[in-house]
Amino acid sequence: MVAVHEVSDTDDSTLIGRSLDDPESFAALFDRHADEIHRYAARRLGPETAEDVTGEVFLVAFRRRARYDRTWPDARPWLYGIATKVVAQHRRTERRRNHAMARMAGAERPGSFDERSVERVTAEQLQPRLARALTRLNAAERDLLLLVAWTDLTYEEAAIALGVPVGTVRSRLHRLRVKVRRALGGNHPFAEEPQDG
Amino acid sequence: MDDEFKDFVDGRPAVPPYRPEARAQARERLLREAHRGFRLPRLGWQAVAAFGVTVTLVGGVAVALAGQGGGPEGTSTAGTVNRTAAQYFPELHPKPGQFILIESDTMYGATAGRADGEPTRHLYRTHRKIYQSVDGRAPGLLLIDGLEPKPWPGEELPADARRAEPPFRSWVASCPGRRDDYSYLSALPADPKRMRERFYQDDPGDRNADEMAFDAAGELVRETYLPKAQREAVFEAIKAIPGVEEAQGVQDSAGRSGVALGRPMSGTLHQLIFDPETRTLLGERGTVLDAKAAGAPVGSLVAHTAELSVTVVDKLPELSDVDGDGSCVQEPVPAESTPPPAVTATPQPDDGPVDEPSEARRRVLPDEPVDEPSTAATMTPQPDDGPVDEPSEAHSTQVPAGWPTDSPSG
Repeated sequence: MVAVHEVSDTDDSTLIGRSLDDPESFAALFDRHADEIHRYAARRLGPETAEDVTGEVFLVAFRRRARYDRTWPDARPWLYGIATKVVAQHRRTERRRNHAMARMAGAERPGSFDERSVERVTAEQLQPRLARALTRLNAAERDLLLLVAWTDLTYEEAAIALGVPVGTVRSRLHRLRVKVRRALGGNHPFAEEPQDG
Repeated sequence: MDDEFKDFVDGRPAVPPYRPEARAQARERLLREAHRGFRLPRLGWQAVAAFGVTVTLVGGVAVALAGQGGGPEGTSTAGTVNRTAAQYFPELHPKPGQFILIESDTMYGATAGRADGEPTRHLYRTHRKIYQSVDGRAPGLLLIDGLEPKPWPGEELPADARRAEPPFRSWVASCPGRRDDYSYLSALPADPKRMRERFYQDDPGDRNADEMAFDAAGELVRETYLPKAQREAVFEAIKAIPGVEEAQGVQDSAGRSGVALGRPMSGTLHQLIFDPETRTLLGERGTVLDAKAAGAPVGSLVAHTAELSVTVVDKLPELSDVDGDGSCVQEPVPAESTPPPAVTATPQPDDGPVDEPSEARRRVLPDEPVDEPSTAATMTPQPDDGPVDEPSEAHSTQVPAGWPTDSPSG
C-alpha cells in the first residue's frame, strides 16, 4: 500500500510534505510517533481510550497535514498539540458530569453515570494528592502541566503544541508553579500511598 | 524539571505498551483514509478542497445507472438522458429517520507514486453512492466503485493507475460538530447575505478568503440535498463572492447543461454547475486556464463530475464488510477491542446517548469555548457531546429490491 520511500533519514516535515502528493506515505509518521503519542494519551485517559485517541490523533493530523508548518522538522509538538485537543474533546464531553474527579480524589467511587469521566480516569491513575492538586487547575493549566511533566517537550515545543507564544507558556508556568505548590501543600508529601486500581 | 512539577513527573502513571493489534488497526484506518479519494490532485490542496474530495466524508461516485433497480420509494434512477433536471431532482420531503441517497460520477486528478518514487498522474474516476441520515442521527453509508481511469491530459496512462481499486464501503459517521444532514441544512438561512456570511466564517489562515468561501460553498452543496429556498440562497451567495463568474450552458459529466459559477485557482477554472431552474448542483468541472500552473494543456479537463440522482430511502441496504468511519473524534469502540468497562463508550443505541436529551445532539458548536481559541484551528471544532452512532445491525435490515449484492469491480 505505502509507496516505497526511504524514510529513515527523512525528517517529519519532509515526510508530511511528501504525503501531500502521496497520502499513504503519512503512515511513516504514524510508525515513528504512534507509540509516544499513545503513551501520553494513556497517561491522560487510560489505556483503552488511548488506543482510540491515538488513532484519532493521526487521522486529524493527516487531514490537517496541508497546514503543517514545515519549518519545523520535528512533528511531535504538532502531534502533541492535536493529542491535547482530542483529549480535551473527551473532557468536554464529560464536563457536565463534573465533580467526578474531586470525588475520586476524596476516595469515593463515582457513580456509574460518570464512569466515563476523563478527569476521573486521569485522577484514578495518580496519587490522590496529585489528583486533588489537578482539580485546582483549570483545563488549560492542566494541559500545560501534563504536557510539560509527561512528555519531553521543551517549553518552546509545548508552546507550539498549544499554539501560544513561548512567553505565554513561561508566564503560565510561573503561575502554575505557585498554584501547584499551594495545592500540594508540602506538609506531608508522602503521607498517602499511590492509589492503584 | 521544576520542583513544583517533580511530583507529577515522578507520579506519572505507568502505562502498558500500545497493543500491536490496536496499533495495526489504527494504522490501517489511517491508510484507508489516505487511500479513500485522498490523492491530492496535482494542483494541490486547494484544488482538492475546491472539488470536494473532502476530508470529511464526501466522495462520491456514481453508478452504472442502467439496469439499476428503483429504490424503495420507487424512484427509478434508470432512464434516458432526455429527462429534465426537475425529473432528475424532484423536490423531496425527507422525514426524520429516513436517508437521502445521492449517486454521482466523479473524475478528479490523482497523483500516484511509482516504485522509484517518481510521481505519476492520471484522472481517476469513481461511481459513488452516499446515504446520509436525514436528521443526522444515524450513520450513513458510502459506497465507491472505481471506474476506468483516464490519462492526464497530454500524457499516457501510467501503469500503476490501471490497477483495479477494490470497492470501498464505509459507514459515514454523523458528527454532531460537523453536520451536513438535511435537518441541519434546511435550517440554514434562506437569505443570500447571511448564507454568504456563512461561507466566510472559517478563518482562512494564509489562504485567500474568497477562495476559501468558494470552497465552503462547494462543500455545502456537494452530495447534499437542500430545500429550494436554501439552494437559491446558496446560488446567489456564491455569485456574490469576488472573482466568481457565471457561465451558461456548461456541461456536467453526464452531459447535462447548467449555469456554472466558477472561480480560477491554481491555473484551473473550478466551476460548480447548477440546474437553471431548480438550482440543484448538477456537477463540477475543472478546466485548465494556465498550462504551466495546472500542468496540463490550456482548455483540458482535469475534473468533471455529475450528481446523477437524489432520492429518499427508508433504510440502508444490508451489506457486510463495511468499514468504520473515524471522522468523528469519538468513534465507537470496535467490537473486537478489549471491553472497557468503565472508560470507553460501549456500543450505544443509535438514537443518542441514554443519559441526555436528544436535543443536545442538535447543537452545532460546543456550548463552551475551547480552552485555547488560538489553537482551535488545529482541529475541527467539536461539540461537547460525543456521537454514539454505532453502525448497528438495526441499520442494515433490508436490501432494497434490485440492490446488487456484489459490487461490480473496476
